[in-house]
Amino acid sequence: MWDFLGDQYEQILFSSWQHFSLVVQCLILATVIAVVLAALVYRNSAFTGIANSVSAIGLTIPSFAFIGLLIAPLGFGVVPAVIVVAFFATLPILRNAVVGLSGIAPSIVESARGIGMSRFRTLLQVELPMAWPIILTGIRVSAQMVMGIAAVAAYSLGPGLGGFIFSGLSRLGGANSLESVLTGVIGVVVLALILDLLLVGLGRLTTPRGIRV
Amino acid sequence: MSELIASNPAESTATDGSTGITGASILLDHVTKRFPGQARPAVDGLTMEIPAGKIVMFVGPSGCGKTTTLKMINRLIEPTEGRIVVDGEDVTEMNGDALRRGIGYVIQAGGLFPHMTVATNIGIVPKMLGWDKARIAARVDELLELVSLDPALYRDRYPKELSGGQQQRVGVARALAADPPILLMDEPFGAVDPITRLRLQDELINIQEELQKTIVCVTHDFDEAVKLGDWIAIFNEGAQLEQYDTPERILGDPANEFVENFIGSGAGLKQLTLTRVADVALSDAITGRPGERAADVLARIVEAGHGHAVIVDERHRPIQWLSRRKLGRLEVVSQVPDPKLPVVGIRSTLNDALDTMLVSSAGAALVTGRRDMFKGVIDVKTVMDAITRSQSAAVLESDQAPVGLNTGLFQAQAAAAEAAPGESAPGEAAPGESASSTADARAAQ
Amino acid sequence: MSTRILKAEAGIAGGDSAVEMPGDPAASAVPVTRARLVWLSWRGLVYQLAGILLTFLGLVIWLLTANLSPIELTTLAPAALWVYTVEHVQLTLLAAVIVLVIAIPLGIALTRKPLRFLTAPVLAIANVGQAAPAIGVVVLLAFWVGFGFWAATLSLVLYAVLPVLRNTMVGLQQVDDRLIEAGRGMGMSSAAVLFRVELPLAVPVMLSGVRTALVLLVGTAALATFVNGGGLGILITTGVNLSLTPVLVTGALLVALLALLIDWVGRVVEHVARPKGL
Repeated sequence: MWDFLGDQYEQILFSSWQHFSLVVQCLILATVIAVVLAALVYRNSAFTGIANSVSAIGLTIPSFAFIGLLIAPLGFGVVPAVIVVAFFATLPILRNAVVGLSGIAPSIVESARGIGMSRFRTLLQVELPMAWPIILTGIRVSAQMVMGIAAVAAYSLGPGLGGFIFSGLSRLGGANSLESVLTGVIGVVVLALILDLLLVGLGRLTTPRGIRV
Repeated sequence: MSELIASNPAESTATDGSTGITGASILLDHVTKRFPGQARPAVDGLTMEIPAGKIVMFVGPSGCGKTTTLKMINRLIEPTEGRIVVDGEDVTEMNGDALRRGIGYVIQAGGLFPHMTVATNIGIVPKMLGWDKARIAARVDELLELVSLDPALYRDRYPKELSGGQQQRVGVARALAADPPILLMDEPFGAVDPITRLRLQDELINIQEELQKTIVCVTHDFDEAVKLGDWIAIFNEGAQLEQYDTPERILGDPANEFVENFIGSGAGLKQLTLTRVADVALSDAITGRPGERAADVLARIVEAGHGHAVIVDERHRPIQWLSRRKLGRLEVVSQVPDPKLPVVGIRSTLNDALDTMLVSSAGAALVTGRRDMFKGVIDVKTVMDAITRSQSAAVLESDQAPVGLNTGLFQAQAAAAEAAPGESAPGEAAPGESASSTADARAAQ
Repeated sequence: MSTRILKAEAGIAGGDSAVEMPGDPAASAVPVTRARLVWLSWRGLVYQLAGILLTFLGLVIWLLTANLSPIELTTLAPAALWVYTVEHVQLTLLAAVIVLVIAIPLGIALTRKPLRFLTAPVLAIANVGQAAPAIGVVVLLAFWVGFGFWAATLSLVLYAVLPVLRNTMVGLQQVDDRLIEAGRGMGMSSAAVLFRVELPLAVPVMLSGVRTALVLLVGTAALATFVNGGGLGILITTGVNLSLTPVLVTGALLVALLALLIDWVGRVVEHVARPKGL
């Protein structure tokens, strides 16, 4: 095992970095998409219902099946991996953003409007900051989930640590196959922990002190 | 426990010599509770007798141990030291679940199980006691009637389909289901609005008049304690009993500064809720009839030296209250009733009477008895006299209080607190113990 | 503090329990007829089933009309598809049963007083474990117990225990303490309180955890093909390896439809089994 790590450490570091950056970029993209969508739907109960159904049903679609469906039109490579990871990352964030935004007491929004804040300003300065902790929880859940999905996405020959798992599988019984799989699995878990810690830190920095739990 | 319930009425009758009491007496004997990790005990050597068939209110600042004390009675919290004696029987070691099945327990908002109907909720304890279905169903209906809910309408509802006040009523019905001799209530009316709370309090008083259970009730609302309690126990930190006495005497003669502060300002006003209009002397009034010449009525009140005349109808119900000036301007007394007449019933409290007379222009109120018949006039001076009298009476009374039930305890606590704070003197439990030992002897025979 | 975090996370990761409750359309104050209320509460489920059936129909029509090569025709023969589907369902259900047998009693035990101190560490470990990629777990276990059905089942169980365990614990913890105290205060034994108060009130959250686990299992069972565990995943790998797009698409769609169907069944059960009065 140590030999394997020693021999391959450059490759491991590179793949880890790729994996991490794939996940983080997709998360940022997903957060933007989800918050915009949530801001569009949260004041209409019918749209809210649709958004919630989409995120609930989207999450039931197996990631492996989804990547298979994307390989068909898009072929192998980075694109299907990014789409899969971003898609699944969006869903929990969307749901939490909707819940967070629609859970704000109407009296608070009313008082913001009452002192002359515009609709958009209210959203930006009052509602989003108040919903932020809940949205951030959604981001953390997303991060944990898509770390694993990104590994499956490597099946489309996308970037990241998933490659170690699939290459170990394909060279089954061969030299270093177990080490390769172990590296992939443990690497993903470690990355997930690191990212979660970073997100917790981000939460500390960005949550207004008045609503910190 | 069923034995306890069964044996209890006879025993209470024997002890109290009065009929109708179905409650059991409770004795807390040197009870202490220490929670792990806390330096000071939550309840510190408390000895307290709770007389059968009475309502005892526990009040005190939050965290003073009153709720802990309450929960030790049904051993939801197990005492670290000391004994709990119910009707002469030491229940400290008996099976806690069996003990609790024989003690009604009411918590804030009723604590109803949301997934069970009203009937199922009420029927839980009878079912555990092995009653058959028909008997449970009959009991459920009977209890719903008792708490003024129509059984046909409410039996099959779920708690979320009830208002807060209704939930609380079902909570009381559930606690009474197996006809327990004791009812423990933990801030029972804390979660309902003030108007509903007053109604529920009145209903509890009515139910208690009928059932005469022993009720121990924790509240943070001193006015509620005054209204409901036969006895009030005022606790300080560590469940230190500061005063354990009747509402009258606590208001009239607070034991110390702590109690004074706790009562807060307006003790005199609070006392007004303890006295009813029927208990004070009413002044007479000159009456007149509709159709009489106003001048005749005026002549009569001038002769009597009064300022007003009360006009009553043929069934002697007051319809108008006329001043000299008004009479002077009238030709004939009309028979049109005055809708704003300041009237109070003879069963009202002095507090209500004072409210009424303060809004009337005459500074007094008309008192009516049964069928709204005119009884007399009550004025502010009468009320003030009543306050003064009851204050002096309270001081006087405390010397001749019925020692047997609980003042011994209070004095024991006070004496103990003076002698050695935090420790109750060992000899003080003697009255309670002797009572329980005679009860034991009786049970043995 | 720890409970609050626990709930917050379960509300999101453990299925969608937290989100669905306010979504109950029957809560609207507008007076509506009973039939309309029933329809409103079932509407989403009807739409979901209709969507599943329509997509399935579309897939069938496409397969019937598409110009398939002989090798694609053999792989996608109805009998073969049926075998793969049955294998897939078997894997899922067997793993689900094992998960229930393990996770529910464990969840109950961990919320009882003597073991309560273990709640936080167990959940922490389980959460870390959840971050492990499913594909990695499946392959690693195959190294350990050998390839085939049982290796696949074992890894599925490992993977799906968490949602059920967590929702069981959260479901039990969110029961109002005062109700438990009311039960104890009435003389119910702790077992009676557990079975007559706590578990019934935890049912909605627990069921949602079971549904989440089932959906997770259907998806993960598609990976069983990598360790010769059978199931619909073989269509996807075959499609990719041999560049047979119709096989790939059929496999992926069938897995997705199966997951949605299981989710639908779970929702129907939740809808029916939710205790009245909640």
